[in-house]
Amino acid sequence: MKRLLAIVVCKILRVVGKIVGKGSSLPGKFALKICPDVLSRVKLPEYIIAVTGSNGKTSTVEMIAHVLTQNGKRVAWNKEGSNQIEGVTTMVLCNATLSGRVKSDILLIESDERFAKYTFKYISPTHYVMTNLYRDQLTRNGHPEWVYDALSESINDNMQLILNADDPLISHFGYGRNNVVYFGADKLSTDIKENKSVYNDGAYCPHCKKPLVYSTRHYNHIGHYECKSCGYKRQDTAHAVTDVDLENGRMTIDGKYNITLALRSLYNIYNLLAAFTVGSAVGIDGEKIASDLSDYVMKNGRVVNFNVGKRPGTLLVAKHENSISYDLSMSVACADKRGCDVLIIVDAVSRKYFTSDVSWLWDIDFEMLGCENVHEIVLAGTYCNDLAVRFSYTDIPQEKIRVFSGIEDAYNYLNSDRDEYIYTVTCFSDKGKFLSLV
Amino acid sequence: MKILHLYYDIMNLYGDYANVRAMERMMLKNGIECSVDRLSFNDKAVLSDYDFIYIGSGTERNRNVVCEDMKKYRDELKDCIDSGKVILMTGNSFEMLGKSITGAGGDAAEGLGIFEFTVSEQKKTRNTADAVFTADFLDRELVGFINKCSEIEGIDKPLFGVKMGLGNKNDGREEGLRSGNLFGTHLTGPVLIKNPHFLTYMAKLVSGADTELSEEHLKYEKAGYEITLKELSALNG
Repeated sequence: MKRLLAIVVCKILRVVGKIVGKGSSLPGKFALKICPDVLSRVKLPEYIIAVTGSNGKTSTVEMIAHVLTQNGKRVAWNKEGSNQIEGVTTMVLCNATLSGRVKSDILLIESDERFAKYTFKYISPTHYVMTNLYRDQLTRNGHPEWVYDALSESINDNMQLILNADDPLISHFGYGRNNVVYFGADKLSTDIKENKSVYNDGAYCPHCKKPLVYSTRHYNHIGHYECKSCGYKRQDTAHAVTDVDLENGRMTIDGKYNITLALRSLYNIYNLLAAFTVGSAVGIDGEKIASDLSDYVMKNGRVVNFNVGKRPGTLLVAKHENSISYDLSMSVACADKRGCDVLIIVDAVSRKYFTSDVSWLWDIDFEMLGCENVHEIVLAGTYCNDLAVRFSYTDIPQEKIRVFSGIEDAYNYLNSDRDEYIYTVTCFSDKGKFLSLV
Repeated sequence: MKILHLYYDIMNLYGDYANVRAMERMMLKNGIECSVDRLSFNDKAVLSDYDFIYIGSGTERNRNVVCEDMKKYRDELKDCIDSGKVILMTGNSFEMLGKSITGAGGDAAEGLGIFEFTVSEQKKTRNTADAVFTADFLDRELVGFINKCSEIEGIDKPLFGVKMGLGNKNDGREEGLRSGNLFGTHLTGPVLIKNPHFLTYMAKLVSGADTELSEEHLKYEKAGYEITLKELSALNG
């Protein structure tokens, strides 16, 4: 009875919420008040696929949903990205019949890292994809090992873990386990020998804390590592990126499946590979997955093209408090041989909570913007001074840098007759403030 | 001028390394020759050789590994503290100086035992907060961020007063540890960048108190400080 009431209330609130433009977590919240264990009282489909990790969750989930629906599967998933237990509850109950049966072939859940243990107490994923553990929102998350410990409580023995072999910390969830599928990238032409980032989270073995040695690095601490002390090392992969050509927008998986890239960046490659691995796990043919993923343009608004006056540009959404997302977004600008200007906006650190902590700026590899493809750098927002200080510690000549506290002032400055393409790198919390101007 | 950044590659969780760069730049901008040594586990530093020693924050596991390794410096470090060497320890690094650190599982690890305090950690809640602190040796507040899972009992001489944020005990009004020229605080990250007046104060201690130091290069630092202080003060009512 409670279950029925929870489902009805959830569905009604969702309909009302959509009309008045409220978020997707509130209905679930009420449903959980009525029936706290409602998630374990619904009849779930055969496949329950969960995705978690610091970066790439939303994109990976969207790509998985795309592949599955292209292949005739009915998929229920948290499209809006409300990824704590309330949002997942909304999604599950809204996709359920009044008798409590989820009306889809596959339940696909994006889950917040720290809260996965609460959600998966009630719903145990059959396939659990973990993308990576980076320095991400440390003002709330503490640090990657803190998140690791929280995530470890969300795992049970029955789940098929699908892990990024190239991330030494996330990969450690597979340590001593049998039913693990690893995905990763072979040595790539874009690899680096030394970690060029300003910090190194791959310096020490997550298992024994002795030094880790890398034979190749894709970026930061992502690569092929081995601990000479305890023997912990990168595992062999079930599916691998065997070749990548960012310049021409192509990647190859397992030596034979070719995907053309709508977004030419390394993080996109991992998201695609994770989606490919999941598609394979549920029995879809590799050739078909590759063709479904080819040229797939994300709908989640993380890449937006715009014009500032006559000047074209692209907004790349990075996440504040997440240095690797900045590094990877900026590397797209650095790779643009046409020459470009880069606008960086830090106005509100988060849209969900207040903090004035900007220590994460010191983890971002802004040094890379000293490359010859980047001509001018414009810094804007409330924290433009903190950005300017950070840039003063790079080797980039100060005359390449402009500082504006007002985003509109930065826009007006960029609205010139310069030929350079514009890349704007900022977070969800600040992207609207820029896009409303263009 | 010689600066030592100890355990630079593992106690560097929140951009802490910037504190060392700030001190180095402060010296160079004032025409004081300055070198930085960045050392870690396999090195054996002679602590007394340095004018300024810095250690930043780490994960609890990393801090425990470092604490074990630090025992080789225990007596040397105590001598340095007693003789008034300028030392800054931010984040959870100064927790190593106490008698013991009791982890979330209840297991107590021995600290360096230079001070009598004890540390206890839990793993349920990450205690994080924006912070505004006061110091009796500075005429303006400090701003920053606390990110920890521990509480400390038994510090007689704290470093800061808590106007906003978390203290040694979470709800306490006292924060950090001061002993001579040893400064320990749970503030994380680039504390000396966010608080240019604290940098100047520390740099004077390091270089010898008589020298007047130029702050001309700290224009953006000062502007950033004012904005953060204003935001946090508004938050605090």
